[in-house]
Amino acid sequence: MIETRGLVHRYGESRAVDDVSLTLDDGAFVVVAGPNGSGKTTLVRHFNGLLTPDEGAVLVDGDDVTDHPVTARSSVAMVFQDPRECFVAATVGADVTFGPANLGLSHETIAERRQTALRAVRMDGREDERIDELSGGEQARVAIAGALAMEPTHLVLDEPFAGLDWPAREAVLDHLRRLEEGGTGVVVVTHDLRDVATAADRVVVLSEGRVALDGPPDAVADRLAEFGVRPPER
Amino acid sequence: MYAPGTSLAHRLDPRAKLAVQVGFALAAFAHTSPRGLLVGTGVVACCLWAARTAPWEALTELRLLVPFLLAGPLVEVVVLGPPWLAPEQAVAPALASYRTLLVVLVAAAYVRTTPTRESQAALQWLVPGKPGRALGLCVGLVARYLTVLRADLRRTRTAMRARLGDRLPVHERIRLVAVAGLGRVFDRSDRLALAMRARCLSWNPTLPRLRFGPADAVALGLALALIGWALTPALAPVLASLV
Amino acid sequence: MSTQEQSVDLVDAATALALARVALFAALAGAFAFVSFEYPLSPAPVTLQVLAVFLAGLFLGPVWGSVSMAVYLVAGAVGLPVFAGATAGVGVLFGPTGGYLLSYPLAAGVIGHLAHGGPSLRSLDDVGLPRLVGSLVAGVVVIYTVGTLGLVYFGGLGLEAAIVGGTLVFLPAEALKLVAAVGIARSDDVALD
Repeated sequence: MIETRGLVHRYGESRAVDDVSLTLDDGAFVVVAGPNGSGKTTLVRHFNGLLTPDEGAVLVDGDDVTDHPVTARSSVAMVFQDPRECFVAATVGADVTFGPANLGLSHETIAERRQTALRAVRMDGREDERIDELSGGEQARVAIAGALAMEPTHLVLDEPFAGLDWPAREAVLDHLRRLEEGGTGVVVVTHDLRDVATAADRVVVLSEGRVALDGPPDAVADRLAEFGVRPPER
Repeated sequence: MYAPGTSLAHRLDPRAKLAVQVGFALAAFAHTSPRGLLVGTGVVACCLWAARTAPWEALTELRLLVPFLLAGPLVEVVVLGPPWLAPEQAVAPALASYRTLLVVLVAAAYVRTTPTRESQAALQWLVPGKPGRALGLCVGLVARYLTVLRADLRRTRTAMRARLGDRLPVHERIRLVAVAGLGRVFDRSDRLALAMRARCLSWNPTLPRLRFGPADAVALGLALALIGWALTPALAPVLASLV
Repeated sequence: MSTQEQSVDLVDAATALALARVALFAALAGAFAFVSFEYPLSPAPVTLQVLAVFLAGLFLGPVWGSVSMAVYLVAGAVGLPVFAGATAGVGVLFGPTGGYLLSYPLAAGVIGHLAHGGPSLRSLDDVGLPRLVGSLVAGVVVIYTVGTLGLVYFGGLGLEAAIVGGTLVFLPAEALKLVAAVGIARSDDVALD
């Protein structure tokens, strides 16, 4: 469970995140939506303590993320926008291994996690391939596998569909759906609800750092456009 | 470039292979004579055989080094004044160039048979503590971003050519290429640092496993023999005085 | 979970960023080694590697700039194709051009130290033009002094030939890179936060 309590994040004078209190349950598919500059990326980077709150607090499973960064980052894994820019190794296997190795796990556990994570995105058996020889969709899946290897309870993805063609989007969304069915909470950050509306349990819309709408996709769909979010197609 | 395979050299411990490279380089420098280099050629042949690499394959990969190797003897052979050519002056640089060729071929055998992760492991074993961890990490990142940045530069040069950039003065062309390469380096490093932190970037990760077997002992023996041979010219007078 | 919390020694945010920059500048030097331009005076192509040394010293400062160039050499030594002509391996460092390569960490350190007036990094906008040019010239002096010694010791050349063939003919090319580096440091194309 991820919980923010009166979270405030400032960039200079402006408040990128302004008094946000949210509770994200385990195993739910949540979409955090809003136009550029609404504070959605800043908000989710607090979920695993990558940023430090100016006011308020963030708790993962009851522990404050500032005091428990390792727990927070293993429980809340993150896939950043444009994953091409975030790989830490040249080959698939070496990149997926990075997270678990940092946790100091045994060689056997690391190998198991790598297997499981790559299987979850159907990239198993391709450990030795070079990442820059993969397609955009395959790279997105390897990035997800790298996060899954942390064995998180929540997976946060920032604009996971940007730059992907339609079949790749469908494939990624399909993997996310299956993750959710397997009990992993999924948080997708986007400004465009068309891809994810069918999968989402809940939509949180941010506007100028505050929560403007919060509810099931059907309940908020009609008001999305007024907050600069592209509504799902009917 | 690394080529996956199952040769003897592929199975060797990267530390043993590094030791052979260093030993060979030292020996080649200590014995840069026709005889010494003949022995060296034999060792190179063994290394390439162990790596199942044909000499011409290794040479093809290194073909761009050839101008550098030829430059030494060529520069030295030309004299500013009659008789303009002095072939005897080219002997020393030619031997040096041949020595370099041998050293580079041994290194090529290492490069072809050692994946980056094994080199990282060897580095972290060789350099203990945080510096070793940082070095291993950075080498892995260079392996990843070398191709990314190279692709950036290629695109810039193509775009420049398309817009008749070849009419610009050379320093301006250099500046444009460099700015294209550098422009996103800071943006990239911000994102990369964040992504590494999100995956718990730590000082004390599980290190890749290294196994030192009987074949590695043989390789290490070769390395030690080479180092010993490299030291003989320096140690000979000392040994003679002891006897 | 709490045992893991204690046993995992996290790298702090500032160090993580510094290491990312170090690695990316080392990769940049490797990418620049592939950019060569025609240069009539030399039998070998002239690459932009030295420009990366300039930029590492100027943008990362003496400490991290130096570290970044050391990482570049190590990456090449263990087999990444980062040296001119996509070559790699310990052998290249001991070859005729090895002196130039081995000088890079020192040169980046000297450039950074002189440009920033000490070990800590300050904004390049505050560095005057004479100081900027002076630091780069000092860097060139370091690279070519060590490089020439390398030609003599690793390449077997006579000192005279090494100075003429290894330094003098290349200085005009270095002047071009120096002008380019000053242009980059002076422009707003690249902003360091």
